[in-house]
Amino acid sequence: MLRFFLSILLMILALATQSVAQSDPKALIDALGKADFKQAEDLLGQIAASADPRVVPALEAFNDGDLYVRKSDGAVFITRASGANLALIDPLSGAAAGEAPKGAMTKLKINNSLRRVLRSALGGLTLLSPDRNVRLSAADAVLRSPSAENLELVEAALAKETDREVKARMEEARAASVLSSDRPVDQKRAAIETIGSIGGRDAISILMSASASLDASLKPDVDRAISKIQSSLAFWDLGQNVWYGISLGSVLLLAAIGLAITFGVMGIINMAHGEMVMIGAYATFMVQEVIRTSAPQLFDWSLAIAVPVAFLVTGAIGLVIERGVIRFLYGRPLETLLATWGVSLILQQTVRSIFGPTNREVGNPSWMSGSFALGGLSITWNRLWIVAFSLSIFFGLLILMKRSAFGLQMRAVTQNRRMASSMGIRTAWVDAFTFALGSGIAGIAGVALSQIDNVSPNLGQSYIIDSFMVVVFGGVGNLWGTLVGALSLGVLNKFLEPSVGAVLGKILVLVLIILFIQKRPRGLFALKGRAIEA
Amino acid sequence: MSQLVSETRPASLLYLDGVSVSFDGFKALNSLSFVVEPGELRAIIGPNGAGKTTMMDIITGKTRPDSGTVLFEDTIDLTRKDEADIAQLGIGRKFQKPTVFESHTVWDNLELALNRKRGVFATLFYRLTPQDKARIDEILTTIRLTHRRDELAANLSHGQKQWLEIGMLLAQEPKLLLVDEPVAGMTDAETAETAILLREIAKTRSVVVVEHDMGFIRDLGVKVTCLAEGSVLAEGSIDFVSSDPKVIENYLGR
Amino acid sequence: MISSFFLRALEGRILAAVAVLLAVALLVPAANLLTAPDSALHIPTYAVSLMGKYLCYALLALALDLVWGYCGILSLGHGAFFALGGYAMGMYLMRQIGSRGVYGNPDLPDFMVFLNWKELPWFWHGMDMFWFAVLMVLVVPGLLAFIFGWFAFRSRVNGVYLSIITQAMTYALLLAFFRNDMGFGGNNGLTDYKEILGFSVQADGTRAVLFALSAIMLSLCLVISSGIVRSKFGKVLVGVRDAESRVRFLGFRVENIKLFTFVVSAMMAGIAGALFVPQVGIINPGEFAPANSIEVVVWTAVGGRGTLIGPIIGAILVNGGKSFFTGAFPEAWLYALGALFIGVTLFLPKGIVGTIQHRFAGRRAAKAADEAEKSAADTAVANQIQAAE
Repeated sequence: MLRFFLSILLMILALATQSVAQSDPKALIDALGKADFKQAEDLLGQIAASADPRVVPALEAFNDGDLYVRKSDGAVFITRASGANLALIDPLSGAAAGEAPKGAMTKLKINNSLRRVLRSALGGLTLLSPDRNVRLSAADAVLRSPSAENLELVEAALAKETDREVKARMEEARAASVLSSDRPVDQKRAAIETIGSIGGRDAISILMSASASLDASLKPDVDRAISKIQSSLAFWDLGQNVWYGISLGSVLLLAAIGLAITFGVMGIINMAHGEMVMIGAYATFMVQEVIRTSAPQLFDWSLAIAVPVAFLVTGAIGLVIERGVIRFLYGRPLETLLATWGVSLILQQTVRSIFGPTNREVGNPSWMSGSFALGGLSITWNRLWIVAFSLSIFFGLLILMKRSAFGLQMRAVTQNRRMASSMGIRTAWVDAFTFALGSGIAGIAGVALSQIDNVSPNLGQSYIIDSFMVVVFGGVGNLWGTLVGALSLGVLNKFLEPSVGAVLGKILVLVLIILFIQKRPRGLFALKGRAIEA
Repeated sequence: MSQLVSETRPASLLYLDGVSVSFDGFKALNSLSFVVEPGELRAIIGPNGAGKTTMMDIITGKTRPDSGTVLFEDTIDLTRKDEADIAQLGIGRKFQKPTVFESHTVWDNLELALNRKRGVFATLFYRLTPQDKARIDEILTTIRLTHRRDELAANLSHGQKQWLEIGMLLAQEPKLLLVDEPVAGMTDAETAETAILLREIAKTRSVVVVEHDMGFIRDLGVKVTCLAEGSVLAEGSIDFVSSDPKVIENYLGR
Repeated sequence: MISSFFLRALEGRILAAVAVLLAVALLVPAANLLTAPDSALHIPTYAVSLMGKYLCYALLALALDLVWGYCGILSLGHGAFFALGGYAMGMYLMRQIGSRGVYGNPDLPDFMVFLNWKELPWFWHGMDMFWFAVLMVLVVPGLLAFIFGWFAFRSRVNGVYLSIITQAMTYALLLAFFRNDMGFGGNNGLTDYKEILGFSVQADGTRAVLFALSAIMLSLCLVISSGIVRSKFGKVLVGVRDAESRVRFLGFRVENIKLFTFVVSAMMAGIAGALFVPQVGIINPGEFAPANSIEVVVWTAVGGRGTLIGPIIGAILVNGGKSFFTGAFPEAWLYALGALFIGVTLFLPKGIVGTIQHRFAGRRAAKAADEAEKSAADTAVANQIQAAE
């Protein structure tokens, strides 16, 4: 109620001083220099009512704390720092007005309530800007902090507006303003309708804050609009959770997919798998370092360059590990586990010695930063790219396994080594390259993970257990199982998180997997067959 | 009443009726029916994939059938029991590949197999009794391994491992012995010896032998069942079965 | 019955090892307490505690050997049982602090006061009694092993799969114990102990007694383990390791055999943890880290799995090496440990003790093998003659 009266008071004041304001905004701005907070609020109302777009820079400067008053004559200027001095700019014309020492100027103070008035005043004024984008953001500003004094301004702007998107936004801004004005009930009812159709949490808060001052007969309308918004919000929340889940699942898939080959296809427990991911991330870091120093214009291409580099580096390391250690341990999975753990310690320490134990900065290329809205979902570009990237690696690998000659040899060797070898397949060669392939894919995963995780020597450790869980859960030896396993574990995790918290959610998922393995020791997509004698 | 029970010997020791099982759409057993009488020595032949090993898996509780009846001594439903239960009921099984405890001596292998209490605490505090010693010595003689009793099983020859495994089954004192390809990889001399050994064993219990070696089966001179594609193709004497046109087409070849 | 179990246990090398351990249990505390600090025979207190720590690790490795060396279960979660035993002891030690904590609250440990808790959580009750805490040292790891094993062994989770889920188990516990609201001190764990059974944990005498107790418990567990593996049960255990399905088809309940061994082993690991905590003065969630459990595996492998004495030697050697390296060349320790993992699996699969044993047995077996070969050759010749005929 108080606000309602205040706004009426303000409007009366505004009308009373209109002639002065219209004739001389400069005077109003200079008056700000002497005003206290309360007076400044009135003055801002008058300035807003002037509807003179020239005052916008001054108001912005006021908001940013760049508006100063000269002690000597009380003239108000926009200022920029210029060494020890302040460069003065005329608040209306924008012309340079010389410099003044800091001591000669006093900053115009601002508080929160003033800031709000300022924002709505700015919103109202910029509604008339010739620039479409400025008008759009002005409409947004009004929508965020609607006030009755802006209403006529909004309506005036609305009448002139031709751009469809801006017009729609202004309609919403108008509706929000109507709610806090003294317009008739049926106009308000229509406004509630309009705001209800905007949806989102902001709309709820607009309706909530307005409902206190609204006529009782409008209560059911407000409640209906709010519950409608809430149910659509719940739907989008669900969608958002699914998206987060898919996004986490794609990270798990990336980390696990190389393991699905070394563990799933070859039966090798490669505990150094996480370190391959880590080295892939460091390869990305190195590529970006080189690009930064020698060809900065290529920075947006850095990831595309890092992918083959990481693949080759980790693939080569994998080849060395297979030839140097693993080939002596075929048929002894538990020994392989121990030896590769040893390898992982050595790789970790090597990276730590070269790059130091702290996190390294890997930059996001421009096309991976930012986000966009899809309906009520907010989707960040880097997550979207990672989902797309992991799926394309998955399907690429699937095609390689099913369609290529190498894939055929690989499957032949894993199914019947002796038969394959007697058919002229060089099984040792196939083993080595299968392992190198698995390692190389882990390296590629590292390129993607460098975009969302800290690049440190411990990067791999945090993924190794999760990756094993995914492969075991999905079913060993089945790539599709790995895909389904990764995505379902990701989604499950994200659905548990809101109710029990991130850590407990993760613990629950681990416990569920342990229980699941008891039920189906060979995972989701296990092949049934004649029992093999031990 | 009790007299009646003790006098009624079971009509069949092992009774399989309409047993089917499939793995991922592949029908390993297709409505298999099969009866073994007490004290019988039976040979089973059939091409690879006929379901011989799967049948043994089902009898010994390793695989559960999708449908069908498997009864032991006419009353005990084997499909509800697991391997350990079934072994304790008195069904012993020899694997295709000789499976003995390689890091134990021949003697220890037999000691473990002896039909004594098998619980955790019974075995923790078990002490070898004179009777048990005598029994193990007896079996060692039967399987012709007395001179190697203190040797690690890993050091035995392939044929000797097969015999040791048979000896372990004897120590188990089973009522029914399932023997999967006992002479695979054996020399002719060993094969002939094995045939004698199995006939000896069959005097006191029922034995089912799965084998590919037709000469060996002829040596045994017993009733033969031929399996193909998961069900019984023919049953009878070796001469009767090997003259059956279906058997010739499926298994022996023309 | 029981006496024959122990008589069997104490044969040969085990007897010698127990004698050495008991001698150490007497001599080291004596050299610490009864000699002057400048004497050549004096062992400083910090060294006593360090050696006591090694003995606890040795007990942990022994526990792992029982399941891995004899039963073939490669547990990558034994550190969890160790840590649970340690936490049980740590809870007792926390309760003994009483009102001497920073906040001086007689009922609540400092971290609970800090978290604004008003009363003791239910699972902290009774932990102020020593006998109850000792009972929990055995019961908690044993119960976890029982529940975990009950499900895992019944559904025949084997080999690598079992290793991976044991690792997941300890990882889940790691995450859980990091949480403040679990009630175990979160990140910082339990520390700042004052007394055990009324004796100051800092005092030389207490440290010496704890050391002696570690040596005695280690020898006791060694005798029990030896009794287990030398009984018929132990032979069945090795049978499970080498040919599980054969054991099943002989009528043994493999799941019960594994479960019993797993639980006994977990309890031993719990004892090791309980002795470890007062000697190092802290227990925190880091003990649950999967890497710790894997390190235990390498101690066992270095010494020789399936030898009982090997893991004890391995644990002492590797940890001695770790103390040396981290002091002298901290950078090189992970390289050395990594190389140890690779080297042992590639070149010393039987471990130190296993290899020595093999050498000795080899000399004896060589003769027997010669004979066996001869007889095999004879049959081969006979067969050839037969075939020729």
